[in-house]
Amino acid sequence: MPDNPPIPVADLSRAPLPTEAMQRYRRNPVVQTWKFAVFNARIMRMVLKGKH
Amino acid sequence: MSDVVILGAGISGHTAALHLSRLLGRQHRITVVSPNSNWNWIPSNIWVGVGKMSKKDVVFPLAPIYRRKGIEFVQAKAVAIRPHGDADSERPAVDIVHTSAAGAGREQRIRYDYLINATGPQLRFGATEGLGPEHGNTVSVCTADHAIAASERLHEVIDKCRAGEHQTLVVGMGHGTCTCEGAAFEYVFNVDNELREAGVRDMARVVYLTNESELGDFGVGGMTFNDKGFQTTSELWTASLFRERGVEAVLGAHVERVEPGTVHFETLDGEHHSLAYDFAMLLPPFSGVPLAAYDRDGTDITSGLFAPSGFMKVDADYSGKPYEQWSAADWPKTYQAQGFDNIWAVGIAFAPPHQISRPRTSANGTPITPSPPRTGMPSGVMGKTVALTIADRISKGPMAVAHQASMADMGAACVASAGANLRTGSAAAMTMMPVVPDYSRYPTGRDLRETRGELGLSGHWVKLMLHHLFIYKAKGLPGWHLIPE
Repeated sequence: MPDNPPIPVADLSRAPLPTEAMQRYRRNPVVQTWKFAVFNARIMRMVLKGKH
Repeated sequence: MSDVVILGAGISGHTAALHLSRLLGRQHRITVVSPNSNWNWIPSNIWVGVGKMSKKDVVFPLAPIYRRKGIEFVQAKAVAIRPHGDADSERPAVDIVHTSAAGAGREQRIRYDYLINATGPQLRFGATEGLGPEHGNTVSVCTADHAIAASERLHEVIDKCRAGEHQTLVVGMGHGTCTCEGAAFEYVFNVDNELREAGVRDMARVVYLTNESELGDFGVGGMTFNDKGFQTTSELWTASLFRERGVEAVLGAHVERVEPGTVHFETLDGEHHSLAYDFAMLLPPFSGVPLAAYDRDGTDITSGLFAPSGFMKVDADYSGKPYEQWSAADWPKTYQAQGFDNIWAVGIAFAPPHQISRPRTSANGTPITPSPPRTGMPSGVMGKTVALTIADRISKGPMAVAHQASMADMGAACVASAGANLRTGSAAAMTMMPVVPDYSRYPTGRDLRETRGELGLSGHWVKLMLHHLFIYKAKGLPGWHLIPE
């Protein structure tokens, strides 16, 4: 149902869309297992670097 | 023997209690005062809100944990602090009102040597007419019970989609000064995922209504990332996800009132708009919980201890400088209350010196700007830091130097689920270092080696791992303290 008057929806038409290859990459279990390990290592490094 | 009293048993208060118990043993008395009998891992309320988890997955009773750890637990809410004592004694005290079924309404004054204010937020649904699940027309995921009601309402809407009725779902912020945009972001993509799993995404219009002036702000002024040799922004990265999922975004919005089926809001350009909806999950703005402070003779000294927002003033710069002069150094380091060396405020309870996002007002003068987030990882770090300070003051003497944990020095991870499924799920996983940007140290405000954003299945695994790890930690099970905050 169209809004009357229309609401100011942000124009996202220039935002990049992921390619099919990128979508497969985001779901690939091998790649994602590696990403999982890297993300956790980054959190640990951040915890160790934090001055607290 | 020293008395340490902790007001609140959320992430920061509970973390402080567990560390104090570990550091002080049973020679000193640690008392936790909380109006709730349960602990809630709030980040996973998102999954309760779409029916992927039940209440028992995110909530557990505090009393057995505290009994095991030698911590006294009082189910009550604090109503006043008497930092100089009262007519009967010079010992500082807190006035509490019991909230358990057995003792509801009973008033008590308890003495302390050290006090941690970790009372968290008051959910101000009343700030916007018609907002909220109890007296308004919207649902919420702020508590596990709210999230259950949100899930039920969401599935009614999904059933209508199945029956061939087009539905409009609005998710976002219920006021121009809200914080926790990350939670609304997370919920909107879980709703999108739920609609897709039900096979009715084409029957639903999903709108993200936010006070952020641009996508990806998250109340921290957005982030800059290094990506394949280019610097990119959280705005572009977030906009890509919105476009991919077909979620509409309305930016720079202050919700003025919510009628049944219609949300009315103002935008930064000063225009007023109305949007018809069938389902609305809008988060409330926060303030500090109502706590008064009194001198020995009963004089009200609340304004000395608390900012007008109800948050406690700590070792931060509250001089109200213009935005261009704000700096990372304005942010608190020890969380010690101004004028008192035995009171601290941690987590949401401390008053931030200023916003992190650039403050904006609409053409009509309405403030529309996210408040700074100080939940999750930073909250836990603050709780531990203050616990270390108190343990040192007790064991080494009152002159022991306070431990420090400025949000301008600490990093945080934000994992925003965008679909809960072990094989097909997804999440936007972000790390930022530091939380409060420091332009004197980094051209983009943050360390580009540590400030990253990624989308993918691994983010969902991280979110699920954090859910189990933090609940394990909060239960104080063997080795809990080895899990970082």
